[in-house]
Amino acid sequence: MSMLTAAKLRKSYGNKFNRQEVLKGIDINVEKGEFVSIMGASGSGKTTLLNVLSSIDQASQGTIWIDGHEMTAMKEKKLAEFRKHHLGFIFQDYNLLDTLTVKENILLPLTIAKTGKKEATDRFNIIADELGIYEIRDKYPNEISGGQKQRTSAARAFIHEPSMIFADEPTGALDSKSASDLLNKLTSLNEKRTATIMMVTHDPNAASFGSRVIFIKDGQMYTQLNKGDQSRQAFFQDIMKTQGVLSGVQHEH
Amino acid sequence: MNINGLITRNLKKNLKNYYLYVFALVFSAALYFAFVTLQYDPAMDEAAGSIKGAAAIRTASILLIAIVAVFLLYANSIFVKRRSKEIGLLQLIGMTKGQIFKLLSVENLLLYFSSLIIGLFVGFAASKLVAMILFKVTGVDEVASLSFSSQALVQTLVVFILIYLCILAVNGLFIKRQNILSLFRVVGTREEKGKRISIWEVLIGLLGIILIVTGYFVSSKLFGGDFTSMNELFAAMAFILASVIIGTYLFYKGSVRFLFHLVRKQKNGYLTVKDVLSLSSIMFRMRSNALMLTVITTLSALAIGLLSLSYISYYSAEKSAQQQVPNDFVVPNDQDAAKLKQAFNAETIVYEEKRIEVVQAEVNTSDILSTELDETTFDADKMQMPVISDKSIKGMNLSPDDTLFSGYVDMLSKVMPLEDSGSIELLGKTETIPQNYIGLERDFLLPYTFTSGGLPTAVVDDTVFNRLKQDADPALQNDSSLYIGLDVTDESQLDKANDLFSKVFNNPAFSSVQLSQVQTAEIQKQNMGLVMFIVGFLGLTFLVTSGCILYFKQMDESEEERGSYTVLRKLGFTRGDLLQGIRIKQLFSFGIPLVIGLLHSYFAVKSGWFFFGGDLFTPMLIVMILYTLLYSIFGILSVLYSKKVIKDAL
Repeated sequence: MSMLTAAKLRKSYGNKFNRQEVLKGIDINVEKGEFVSIMGASGSGKTTLLNVLSSIDQASQGTIWIDGHEMTAMKEKKLAEFRKHHLGFIFQDYNLLDTLTVKENILLPLTIAKTGKKEATDRFNIIADELGIYEIRDKYPNEISGGQKQRTSAARAFIHEPSMIFADEPTGALDSKSASDLLNKLTSLNEKRTATIMMVTHDPNAASFGSRVIFIKDGQMYTQLNKGDQSRQAFFQDIMKTQGVLSGVQHEH
Repeated sequence: MNINGLITRNLKKNLKNYYLYVFALVFSAALYFAFVTLQYDPAMDEAAGSIKGAAAIRTASILLIAIVAVFLLYANSIFVKRRSKEIGLLQLIGMTKGQIFKLLSVENLLLYFSSLIIGLFVGFAASKLVAMILFKVTGVDEVASLSFSSQALVQTLVVFILIYLCILAVNGLFIKRQNILSLFRVVGTREEKGKRISIWEVLIGLLGIILIVTGYFVSSKLFGGDFTSMNELFAAMAFILASVIIGTYLFYKGSVRFLFHLVRKQKNGYLTVKDVLSLSSIMFRMRSNALMLTVITTLSALAIGLLSLSYISYYSAEKSAQQQVPNDFVVPNDQDAAKLKQAFNAETIVYEEKRIEVVQAEVNTSDILSTELDETTFDADKMQMPVISDKSIKGMNLSPDDTLFSGYVDMLSKVMPLEDSGSIELLGKTETIPQNYIGLERDFLLPYTFTSGGLPTAVVDDTVFNRLKQDADPALQNDSSLYIGLDVTDESQLDKANDLFSKVFNNPAFSSVQLSQVQTAEIQKQNMGLVMFIVGFLGLTFLVTSGCILYFKQMDESEEERGSYTVLRKLGFTRGDLLQGIRIKQLFSFGIPLVIGLLHSYFAVKSGWFFFGGDLFTPMLIVMILYTLLYSIFGILSVLYSKKVIKDAL
């Protein structure tokens, strides 16, 4: 069953005279429970693609369906409603609210869904345990490390069991240890909860944690790689090779 | 691009951002110019009346300078801080501090003086309106005319140039003290967020509330008779001031945070978006703005309190004139009475005459005085009171043992309350007549010239009165022992009667021999009207400036919270959701200082209002409601600004 389908997606900025086309007709299909990474050089349009798919930005042309809803037909208010219930977000700069504790930050999406307090606490306990942040639940964001912040952000994305999770360079600001820690947790959540994840990254190592990698170049889909049954290490080598071809620069890994 | 280009570009952009700063400038300049124009207006002579009035206006204009200067400096510092990043950047690309200072100064110069010129025009136009209001409240019959005073213009220009120089100096210091790094950091370090509450803060919070409540409690006891000597009274007042002001500071420092912490704890992490935007944000911000909020609260309390008191006095001018002069006209002797009556008859004005024979006697009231008074300030054994016979009052008949008191002014009755009954002694020159005191009536029977300024009149049986009259102590008696009052029967003839009264006795307004009720009320209105006008003017200035400061603060906060808005909107909260939270937040940000200020002024007014007049609630509520309405405009403006920020956040 496909969770996300986008057809002939176009996005351009600027006015009539000075038009900049960022997305030039992209078709994407993501199945339920998939962990898809999107890679590409800076300026290739990968973040724009994520923003458009996640309804934060509006597409100029094309249609997007998520979980059977046509996003491109929705008005702003309905979109907000949809994001609230069906989407989860993880950002590079965490986007936690400084004035709230870890627990309050994580519970935020549940408060609008009118989830009961008891159930909210139960869910929090489970997800916080899985991500190893239960101990720091009463701390404020400026009292914890970057890795812990990103795991808090991930917990917030998962807690209301959204149909789809969008992650924009989640490991961008983390050291490699914290990064692989987070990615391991994401993979296990992906498997345990059959959560669908779409992640934008420029780090081949991060991308190798997913089940499929889509390469974007100049606003168009360049190619895609499936992990299949191969090991993560082998998949990583594949990604490296493709990236080398894509950018014309050979990485020395 | 050279520096000039940079300046014009900055100006263009700033004008949009700083429209309120411009508004504040225009407003202050207009207000000040209007006030000073008034000061030099020849038509003012009558309204200002005495030297005292002129002195009051001059003092007010100095206070006005202080308020305006502090406000403009504060507003400027907010805007410079906001641009600290830009200043850092300019330094980074190699501009010297001197060049940056020049850039800012020229920019400021253009902004400041163009606003000043607009302000002068507005102020000139408004000065007529202001003069009209003043003449209305003081009851002066002058036609307000638009008169330009070059003296006023020069004074305004000098004051504002001085303020501009101050601003330059402050900016210069700010730029000089900063290095590139700290300039980038300035926004971040100003407010602490995300810190947990400590036991210490809980204690401070509780202490703040306790101090405020103690202050209120003592203030309600202030004139209740517990503090009798002047020294005790002053000590009590100083204590109230200190405990309330320190309490307010601690309240902002700890109590708000502590109270919100309790609410938040109870929610156990389950915060809705409304709570996020209101509770959690205010918790941290109140604390860092504690000093500013304390100043604003204290000064608004002061403004509201003074306005209420002067309005109480103005409002009850007629009532207190009735107490001071119980009949329409009071004349001291038969000669004057005959003159006035002759004039009235000539104009066919119908009147009634009231004659009361009065004996001044000392009365021993120590038994019925509810409070122990300090012997040095007042002697309860020998209180000098006017005594009249029950025959003088229609329909009153007392037994020879009884004495009734009538007409005790509010102020004295609060300071020296009387028991409902008891025994008193009337002291003649030789004999002492013991009497039963049977109560206090509200009617005022004699003018203040007979009652030592407001003591009650003792009404006794005719026989007792005659005994006392025989035995009267001549040293105590007034020039005349006969009170003659005239009442005009037809209300519509009262104005004419007053004109005649003025004509018959030359300029009786300032005499204390021949009295007219209407004129007494007018004089009080004129005096209090001027006070009220000045206090109102200062109060309005203060209201607008403090409102603007809070608004600037909120503008800053909205900008700082833009990131949070973005996160929340990405998470799927609609603009409406966020706006609800913002409304609650502004309700608290503006409401808490307002409510505390209102409470402070309420208790202040309540402890001493009776010195000023007879009505408490109507005039006080009118002042408070007006203040609240004007003040809430700034709250609404803040919400509108946040609305814009939220809209742009995604």
